[in-house]
Amino acid sequence: MTTILSIETSCDETGVAVIDDGRRIRANLVASQAAHVTTGGIVPEVAAREHLRVLDPLVSRSLAASGLSLREVDAVAATVGPGLMGCLLVGANYARGLAFAAGLRFVGVNHLEGHVYANWLYESDPAPAEPELPAVVLVVSGAHSDLALMEDHRRFRRLGRTIDDAAGEAFDKVARLLGLGFPGGPEIERVARTGDPTAYPLPRAVVPGRYDFSFSGLKTAVLRLVRALERAGEIPVADVAASFQRAITESLAEKTARAAAEHRVRTVMLGGGVAANGPLRAEIERRIAQPLRVPTPRLCTDNGAMIGAAAFRALSDVPSELLEDVRPDLPLA
Amino acid sequence: MLLALDTSTTSASVALFDGRRLLAEQAWQAQRRQSADLFPTIERLLALSGTALSAVDQVAVATGPGSFSGLRAGIAAAQGLARGGGAALVGVPTLDVLAYAHAACGMATCPLLPAGRTEWYAAFYGLRHGTWGRQGEIGIRTLEALCEETTTDTLFTGEFDVAVETTLRELLGSKAAFAPPAARLRRAGYLAQLGWDQIAAGGATAPADVEPLYVRPPAIRTR
Ligand SMILES: [Zn+2]
Repeated sequence: MTTILSIETSCDETGVAVIDDGRRIRANLVASQAAHVTTGGIVPEVAAREHLRVLDPLVSRSLAASGLSLREVDAVAATVGPGLMGCLLVGANYARGLAFAAGLRFVGVNHLEGHVYANWLYESDPAPAEPELPAVVLVVSGAHSDLALMEDHRRFRRLGRTIDDAAGEAFDKVARLLGLGFPGGPEIERVARTGDPTAYPLPRAVVPGRYDFSFSGLKTAVLRLVRALERAGEIPVADVAASFQRAITESLAEKTARAAAEHRVRTVMLGGGVAANGPLRAEIERRIAQPLRVPTPRLCTDNGAMIGAAAFRALSDVPSELLEDVRPDLPLA
Repeated sequence: MLLALDTSTTSASVALFDGRRLLAEQAWQAQRRQSADLFPTIERLLALSGTALSAVDQVAVATGPGSFSGLRAGIAAAQGLARGGGAALVGVPTLDVLAYAHAACGMATCPLLPAGRTEWYAAFYGLRHGTWGRQGEIGIRTLEALCEETTTDTLFTGEFDVAVETTLRELLGSKAAFAPPAARLRRAGYLAQLGWDQIAAGGATAPADVEPLYVRPPAIRTR
């Protein structure tokens, strides 16, 4: 058995986990940064300071929760990209130091691969079946919107990505416009439950690349709609939220389903904070013939466990060059 | 054995010290790669000095002020090293390391590190009651404000260019003296000595208690 201690600090969540064989979660602790709720967005310097403040205590607590000592761990992993440079440096340097001094392998992990490999994780026995490959994967969050073909383990081919805002960013911006909290995804989903998704016609993204996304047009359309409604009186927040959510989930689901059919894959997988959105999952499931795999909500958002899952594959993939240095712009493929 | 590391600015340095002798030391201009080069450099110094990693039971790290990312990279690495090897850890202010090079001469010393376009991280060091050390707080100052505080003949050291040297000479006249470039280098050997002394005096801390001296609050700008 291979046990990995894994660290995630690419954005605003500090995550530390202990994972067996890239699948079974022994411990998975996440410290979310509350400071960004008041600023309505992530302040990179604030996030980096917070990571350093909480990381070492979180490592101790995760090891304690796993029931293992550092001596019983086989490797140490950390996200090396993509993400915010100042944030990545904290987790990667701590992990390299920890691994080096403890005589363990250090595995640098691609955060986007982590989101995909969250689909292999489970908390308690028996182990659920592994997702079958090849698969189409959609990674959607506040920082990324990537659609890729996963031909085999760690063999990704990018099909499309956002040409402007990430999907989660669009959720955040519309939520702010509607006076809702941060992060916007869960807030929009909550108020949209009582709204009419057909209340307002909103544009679907039209972009040159077949599988690329664009959300800035939609965001502008919502802004114009909200301004017009404001002038007319009260904003029907639930209806606007539901209409926006319908527009964005349809664009994501339509391209994901088209890719799944074209490449005749065996599975469709989601990852990233926006994958926790119920209507998005329902919309994709309605359009595909394959099984849909989605991590549990707390494994959709950034966490250390997914980094451990991806690190295990990187270690098993011989011969493989392990990543070491941080790369804020590291692509999935 | 003590391992000292400093990535406070683009001028990075690593050293190994056993309390009596500096066994190995490297300083380099890292540009923006100081953290990528850090671990390969540590490995090289261990090999050069024939030191086993397991012999390292103390770690000292420079805590700033300096580049925010650089400070965090060094401190995170030091915390990980200390946690992974069960070593004692200590943080030493970066300006203390710069000033230490001139401690033996006993002259009033002011190390400077850039803190933006017109401001400088600075502190004054000198003799008081026969003991050499920092006098007052580490702060951010303009050159003009710094010169108003400079009351005696002072040796300036740190990272600044000829233009700054000229300004200081204009403002302070013969009161200003300057360390030659080679003596301005921030060497982890000095950090090692300071860290060793601090640990010997019971100053070792838990990893999470070593915090960067940011001096400046973060600029609140969302991404
Ligand atoms: Zn993410």
